[in-house]
Amino acid sequence: MSVPFGAASLIPRNALVWIILSQFALLLPHLGRLPVWVVLVYLLTAVWRLLVYQGRVSFPGRWVRIALIGAGFAAVFFSYGNLLGLEPTVALLLTAFALKLLELIRRKDAYVVIFLGYFICVTAFLFTQDLLLVLYSLFTLLLVTTALVALHRPGEHRFRVDTLRLPALMLAQAFPLMLVLFFLFPRIGPLWTVPVQSHAARTGVSDFMKPGDVSSLSQSDEVAFRVRFAGDIPPRSELYWRGLVFSVLDAGTWRSLRYHELPAAELRAPRLEPSGPELSYSVLMLPTQQNWLYSLRYARSPQSGVLATPDFRLYSPVEVEDQLRYSVNSWPETPLETELSDWRRRTELALPPASNPRSRELALGIRAESPTDAAFVDAVLAYFNRENFVYTLQPTLLSAPEPMDQFLFETRRGFCEHYAFAFTLMMRAAGVPARVVAGYQGGEINPLNRTVIVHQFDAHAWAEVWLEGRGWVRVDPTAAVSPERIELGLEQAVAGEGSFLANSPLSPLRYRGVNWVNMLRLRYDAWTYRWQSWVVGFNSDQQYRLLQDLFGTVRARTFVIIVLASGALVLLPVAWLLLGRHRRRPPDPAERLYLAFCARLARRGLTRGRGEGPRDFCRRVAGTDPALGQWAEEFTAGFEELAYASSGANDGARAQLKGLRRLLQQMPGRAAGASRLVRG
Amino acid sequence: MEIQGAIDSAVAEVGTVLLGKEAQVRLALCCLLSRGHLLIEDLPGMGKTTLSHALAEVLGLSYKRVQFTSDLLPADILGVSVYDRTDASFSFHPGPIFTQVLLADEINRTTPRTQSALLEAMAEGQVTIEGETRPLPEPFFVIATQNPIDQSGTYPLPESQLDRFLMRLQLGYPDPQAERQMFLSKHSGQFRSGALRRCLSPQQLTGFRDAVTRVHVADSLLDYLQRLVAFTRQSREFAVGLSPRGALALLDCARTWAHMNGRAHVVPEDLQAVLAPVAGHRLIPSGDYAGDGQALVDLLQRSVDVIGR
Repeated sequence: MSVPFGAASLIPRNALVWIILSQFALLLPHLGRLPVWVVLVYLLTAVWRLLVYQGRVSFPGRWVRIALIGAGFAAVFFSYGNLLGLEPTVALLLTAFALKLLELIRRKDAYVVIFLGYFICVTAFLFTQDLLLVLYSLFTLLLVTTALVALHRPGEHRFRVDTLRLPALMLAQAFPLMLVLFFLFPRIGPLWTVPVQSHAARTGVSDFMKPGDVSSLSQSDEVAFRVRFAGDIPPRSELYWRGLVFSVLDAGTWRSLRYHELPAAELRAPRLEPSGPELSYSVLMLPTQQNWLYSLRYARSPQSGVLATPDFRLYSPVEVEDQLRYSVNSWPETPLETELSDWRRRTELALPPASNPRSRELALGIRAESPTDAAFVDAVLAYFNRENFVYTLQPTLLSAPEPMDQFLFETRRGFCEHYAFAFTLMMRAAGVPARVVAGYQGGEINPLNRTVIVHQFDAHAWAEVWLEGRGWVRVDPTAAVSPERIELGLEQAVAGEGSFLANSPLSPLRYRGVNWVNMLRLRYDAWTYRWQSWVVGFNSDQQYRLLQDLFGTVRARTFVIIVLASGALVLLPVAWLLLGRHRRRPPDPAERLYLAFCARLARRGLTRGRGEGPRDFCRRVAGTDPALGQWAEEFTAGFEELAYASSGANDGARAQLKGLRRLLQQMPGRAAGASRLVRG
Repeated sequence: MEIQGAIDSAVAEVGTVLLGKEAQVRLALCCLLSRGHLLIEDLPGMGKTTLSHALAEVLGLSYKRVQFTSDLLPADILGVSVYDRTDASFSFHPGPIFTQVLLADEINRTTPRTQSALLEAMAEGQVTIEGETRPLPEPFFVIATQNPIDQSGTYPLPESQLDRFLMRLQLGYPDPQAERQMFLSKHSGQFRSGALRRCLSPQQLTGFRDAVTRVHVADSLLDYLQRLVAFTRQSREFAVGLSPRGALALLDCARTWAHMNGRAHVVPEDLQAVLAPVAGHRLIPSGDYAGDGQALVDLLQRSVDVIGR
């Protein structure tokens, strides 16, 4: 391959090393999402490019490059199964970024790589907006900028760490501007969206439940949402975060009612008269790609965009694709739905015909011994407590055609969903309206900022039964089997079997016993809460509110003025610093006067060249326009006396300056000027 | 002013043997009066030797000439100790360097070894031979001539040694009128020692330096000088900017030039007058720029504003 080499268009070694360093740094935040071969590609290209630099191998030829591109596409396709979607596209971009190193010959190639680097720096935020990632991205930004700076220092043949100094200074100078833009740049909605749904679905509660679902969720230590209460935090045994209500049992799976299954009269959420103490809190939810929101029971939200359902939950009409903050008021003691409609009663009693016969028989037997529905509920809970049931994260897989019969009479090892399932089934079998509720139970209280952190492993399922005069009453059969789960949380409840987060050995949550690790983790979580609330959650509403607080009613014109003014406010001191460095002393009054003299002559078509001295200019003026000659000579002599012959400002100089200023006003007129020359 | 008349007459006197080169003669005088060494660069036969010899004559200084060849050795210039059999001791035979004006003709024809021996003496005003340091006469000027460096068989002076010369002058072809007058003149290029009148007394010569130091330099002019220097250091046409020594040389020559013209202060035109000979050989164009040193000086003078903005 023949490349026209010019010394100026080559890449200095220093820049090459910085480019490769920043490439690896940019790869790092994506590592967890990428197949291993991408890392190998990075190593291969870096080594290849360095060998090229040493002259041991040559750049790949055209066909090799085409083959590498093809191989890259094929590898991404085989790793992800498609080329569209967020993760494959990012993988493709990162692969191309590495391969570009093999084309890095001249400076223009380096520009491509460096500007691509800036773009890749942003792609990490498509997946998470974590505080640590932001700090790390500032670091990669510094590296990429350093590569750019190094590229502009020809002849650096050694790797130099101190190249970092200038870009660090530049980025530090840009920091105030970044803040202004962050607060003031209009939050414009995206012009198009990329399919964020990736093949690795997010963990979270789903809208159907069969035995085993929740227990697998409990292996995840991801945060589901964080809650901040306005007043005191209720005891954790009261923290039942309702997300979904499962009213339909269908082929061994509980699911919620579909919208089209609801009759018209049941579509509206009934508005209840709240009673009892009020809880007020705000939930900061991480993206779930789902519609339902979590709240304590009988919840209302004053926020637009948060709606209520007929089964007293909250939901969002659009899927939660970004983090969402909503404020909620709850009245936990309000009776829910004291009057049950016929349709509702029918729905909440429906069971698939002739399924789990032994369980039904057991339920009917207990009901016959109980005087009331309430006594029946207590009797069933007592049954769970009395018999040899085990609460475990590793339940026996239920495979029989009648899974609840198998569970109640054979295995007797289950997680919350097993107990909720069995309990609701027995209630319905005995004619008591009942349903399964899914969501989260409890949460960890961070004493540093008084928030409740709800993790995925807090996922829980419990039951609600409808009792005459009391409405829907929450019953948690798990509490009957394992009271520790509700009082102390999952970790304590399964402490005996050591299965808590068994698949994530590095999770800091596993080391809660070590005091300083725990403090560090909680401290970081408090920071994350603040970060998510104030930085990631800073949307156009908040922006508008901030501006309104500061400047009153904001109209478009005011907004533009604010943006421009604050930009100028930031840039002017920088400009002043930069320009001030070149100005050695305040402008000399004599020089200013002379410039005015030049400006007057320029209007007559006599422009002084940049490098033309006063005497030379004067001679030229006299030569071209004799009418001006004498005046120009007089002025030039006066100026020379002031600017070059005298030292410093004294009274004499001041008088001279005055005379010169007067003389300037007496410039001869255009045509008849020569005769009217007045002496100054 | 007395000194001004003396200078004018000196220029006129040199002008009788070197026709039509008044500007270069003035600059050469300025260089010598600033106590600097002079490098004259031009093609053979342009009057380099004539100029230097004539300058020595009008200043009333002793004059010696060394023709530099490729086999010239340092001892040939500096001198050598010879064993004297009659009083059985070594006696020093001083070389041609022990003079007030030394014409080093075609300095780029000799080897770097001999060149540096001369340049060292120029820098220090003394020579050290066989461990004994001997001062050179006062004043001591070297006027070196060289052919343009692209001629064959030459050892071009490195930049660091070019820097030792305060000025570099180019003579150029005479204008047709002067040349015609030369054809008609009786000497027709022949130049004899003692043909020219001495124009400056030794007192005037030493007094001149003191007068130059009293020439006033205003802030406005220093600003202009600093702008010039900054431009050479920042523009991409220059591979190497003007050193502080180069800037000092500029100011020094501008002062002398102002005094030669009978002024007690320096004006921008003084600086511009000496800019090309003083800065021309110290500036090196960068790879991006096609012009030579002279083109760089033109660029510099064109681009930097005389009056600060």
